[in-house]
Amino acid sequence: MLEETLVLFKNIRNTKYDKSLAAYKKSGGYKSLKKVFGMKPEDVVQEVKESGIRGRGGAGFPTGLKWSFMAKGTGKPSYLVANADESEPGTCKDRELMLKDPHLFLEGMMIGCYAVGCHHGYIYVRGEFFPSIKILNAAVDELYADGLLGPDPLGSGFNLDLTIHTGAGAYICGEESALLDSLEGKRGQPRVKPPFPAVSGFNGCPTSVNNVETLACMPFIFSEGGVDAFKSFGPQNNSGTHLVSLSGHVNRPGVYELRMDVNMKDIIYDIGGGIRNGKKLKGVIPGGSSSPVMKADEVDVLYNFDDLAKIGAMMGSAAIMVFDEDTDIVKLLHRITRFYAHESCGQCTPCREGTQWTKQIVRDFLSGNGSEEKLKRLDRVGGNMLGTSLCALGDAAAMPIQSFVNKFPEEFRKYYATA
Amino acid sequence: MPLLNEFSMPEFHIDGEPVEFEPGEKIISAALRCGKVIPHYCYHPGMSVVATCRMCLVDVTDLGNGHPAPKLQTACSMDAAEGMKIETLNQKVEEGRKLVNEFLLVNHPLDCPICDQSGECALQDYAFEYGSGKSEMDYSKRVSGWRDIGTFVALERNRCIQCSRCDRFTREITGTNEFGMFNRGHELTVDTYADRPMTNKFQGNMADICPVGAITEKEFRFKRRVWKLKKNHSICTGCSTGCNVTIEHDRNEIFRLKPHENQSVNKWWLCDEGRLTYRMMNERKTRIHQPLGRVDGKLEGISWNEAYGAIAERVSEMSPLPQEVLALTDTHASNEELFLLQKLLKDIFSTENIFCPLPNWEQSESDFFINTLITSDKTPNRAGALALKIKGDAKTAKLKKAVESDPKVVFVLGNPFEAESEIQEQLKRAQLVVHLGIFHNSWSEIADVVLPGQYYSEKDGTFTNKNQRVQATEIAVQALRRTRPEWQIIAELSKALGRENTFASSAQVFNAMTQEVKAFKGLSYENLGGLGSVLTKKTRDSGMKVVKAQI
Repeated sequence: MLEETLVLFKNIRNTKYDKSLAAYKKSGGYKSLKKVFGMKPEDVVQEVKESGIRGRGGAGFPTGLKWSFMAKGTGKPSYLVANADESEPGTCKDRELMLKDPHLFLEGMMIGCYAVGCHHGYIYVRGEFFPSIKILNAAVDELYADGLLGPDPLGSGFNLDLTIHTGAGAYICGEESALLDSLEGKRGQPRVKPPFPAVSGFNGCPTSVNNVETLACMPFIFSEGGVDAFKSFGPQNNSGTHLVSLSGHVNRPGVYELRMDVNMKDIIYDIGGGIRNGKKLKGVIPGGSSSPVMKADEVDVLYNFDDLAKIGAMMGSAAIMVFDEDTDIVKLLHRITRFYAHESCGQCTPCREGTQWTKQIVRDFLSGNGSEEKLKRLDRVGGNMLGTSLCALGDAAAMPIQSFVNKFPEEFRKYYATA
Repeated sequence: MPLLNEFSMPEFHIDGEPVEFEPGEKIISAALRCGKVIPHYCYHPGMSVVATCRMCLVDVTDLGNGHPAPKLQTACSMDAAEGMKIETLNQKVEEGRKLVNEFLLVNHPLDCPICDQSGECALQDYAFEYGSGKSEMDYSKRVSGWRDIGTFVALERNRCIQCSRCDRFTREITGTNEFGMFNRGHELTVDTYADRPMTNKFQGNMADICPVGAITEKEFRFKRRVWKLKKNHSICTGCSTGCNVTIEHDRNEIFRLKPHENQSVNKWWLCDEGRLTYRMMNERKTRIHQPLGRVDGKLEGISWNEAYGAIAERVSEMSPLPQEVLALTDTHASNEELFLLQKLLKDIFSTENIFCPLPNWEQSESDFFINTLITSDKTPNRAGALALKIKGDAKTAKLKKAVESDPKVVFVLGNPFEAESEIQEQLKRAQLVVHLGIFHNSWSEIADVVLPGQYYSEKDGTFTNKNQRVQATEIAVQALRRTRPEWQIIAELSKALGRENTFASSAQVFNAMTQEVKAFKGLSYENLGGLGSVLTKKTRDSGMKVVKAQI
């Protein structure tokens, strides 16, 4: 029987935990921060590098490396921005952390701020997360009252302020440069890269944008023996535990904390308790709606960044969406294309026009106007979006389209064969 | 291995040909400078790079380190690097352009036959050049509708390709921020904020930089197809900035002025007021069509020879003393005209009694370059008059003295001192008033002989702008049949009054001026070229006042 490995969820799985500062401190909280304050920032970054942690937001970029890229000696302030704009369909892990253990995340945030030399950190929370915003605000108030935030926390001499900023409801603002634009008060639109945020980010200053879960790993990494323990949770280059959002037609959907050397099949059948109503598995979207779909016979694979990449899938934000044999693939794709057409910011041509056009073509199948020609066109237009857009949203919209068309063509044919 | 000069610029290769670049320069900028063609919509050298149209895709086969780029790159956002190799014509690039073009056209109305941009539309040109020629889009197209955004430009949003040039223009160039992008995704569109009309004084530029027909000039719309227009380089004479313009005309009628790039004067821009000066170029009603002479108190048409003869006769009858001759000019006249008039007075009447109005004027100072283009001095050649040492203003003692000492012969060029009626009252009593001008005005009413000149668009000449830059205009349209350029009139008049000269073109006059006038030394008409040249010895303008620009 596969079990969770509790690192991030240590407190959350404790039914008596009440997420207050006192409770968090009682469970050993803010000890790592104290330890970090005794280290040099360069050593903190080095330690994070050694832990091998990769960003949990979707791209899987090594966090230590990202922090080491921060421009130094520019005479400008550095910033750390926590990306809590969790809006990838199927993903709900950051929300769990913020709702049930805000101090774990805030401690990680403070460690990150110290590492990159940021004296004013921002937390960009998705606007629809009202309870999370409320809880985070309360937790930050607690920290100020306790003296952990503000001037000279824990006698470190390192002044630190945190501001919670709420988004206004755009998926694209989860993209780091669009997030920074939004934070600055502009339209949330991805910027041209380079320059990367580490050189010119928030208000043109060096900025690091990190996912909530990534930051929440920091207290563990800086606990006693944390780095080695963290590395032992997964194969090479895929260290640590991670939160998997399991949803769809499984018996026990939810957010689970798992090691990185766990088989995806076991996640579905063991952790998730198998397919609902004893049905058969048809396919899985392995990493949020923007990842290519996997067929039922492909799911026997280790669920981590590298093993999924090897078979042409991606782990993304670790959101597994399971669908059973009764699922209508075309309707599913229609839902996904509708999402991307709605959320495209519209600034660059392939994404603006492509997301809308593909949505219209998929709708044609649903309304009985499909044809072989349109299926080819769907594949072609989707492919044209891939790799030509300014940010990753064009790719994110294209990958499901191409994979759905190539892996389930008979589902589309069913629609126009019967019509 | 070639010898590398220490000062040589680094190079990269486009389609196998070496292209020099400045460190930090983008690929597209270096490529366009060297005459390479890279199609683009959103890129504009004067504004920030957004890399959103995706049309300028190029294949980077070598990043300068021996490795190719993984996918097609946008030339507008990628820095050029030493040893980089770029291909713009291979199949991969062609396919990339084709697909971007297809995406741009799926929602474009393709109403070229009724669109005013047709003929100078980047979308049209690139669709012909790089597009596939067919569309697989079979759904109804997006409709955003037109918007009334003010008096100067029309906005037809269906044609918009969301390149955001207009948005960036009001943010980065004028700083007025009244125009922006609205909605998102497929419904992304442009509009003014809060339904207000546009307020900036440079809206015409938005029509220029719009690569499609979404923003067009109301003044020009539906007047003429652009491929019928002939173009001549000229200078805007609306104020003393001297913005470089292209006069666009057809069948001797001028339809519009467009800015002409000159980095040391107006960069890429032109103000709306300047654009509207084209109206005066087409003005016929108030124009003086032929030489006129006063017969029994009434002005009547006479021939050029009669006019010159009459003037010569009267002058020899009177044989005026130097202090009895006076010339007034305005600063709309070109350098050559001012120089010749000054010379005429000096050579024939041995006097320096030549005056022009030199009121104080304001130069605005601003964080946004474009605001410094508009000056309060609405004449194009004030600096030229100063360089020629033509002095005076309505209030100066010298002019007062000259006017009050009852001059016998008065030459008036243009329409100087129009507001100072007492000067005109005084000079009415002179025995001979000669008016050289283009339009009928209060001077032609009191003149004894009226000699019709030509407007800027009809003659050539040079003007000195507020920064002492001498720039030349070209003849754009044919002048009225019985008019002559002023420099020629003054040269012929001088001949009639007994002073032989050999001036056959304004270029000759200019080159004579460079010999005789200190400030113009070292310049030559041939070297003015398209960009003009700065006076070697600058004259100080005490009438200038620097003020903060009001947006």
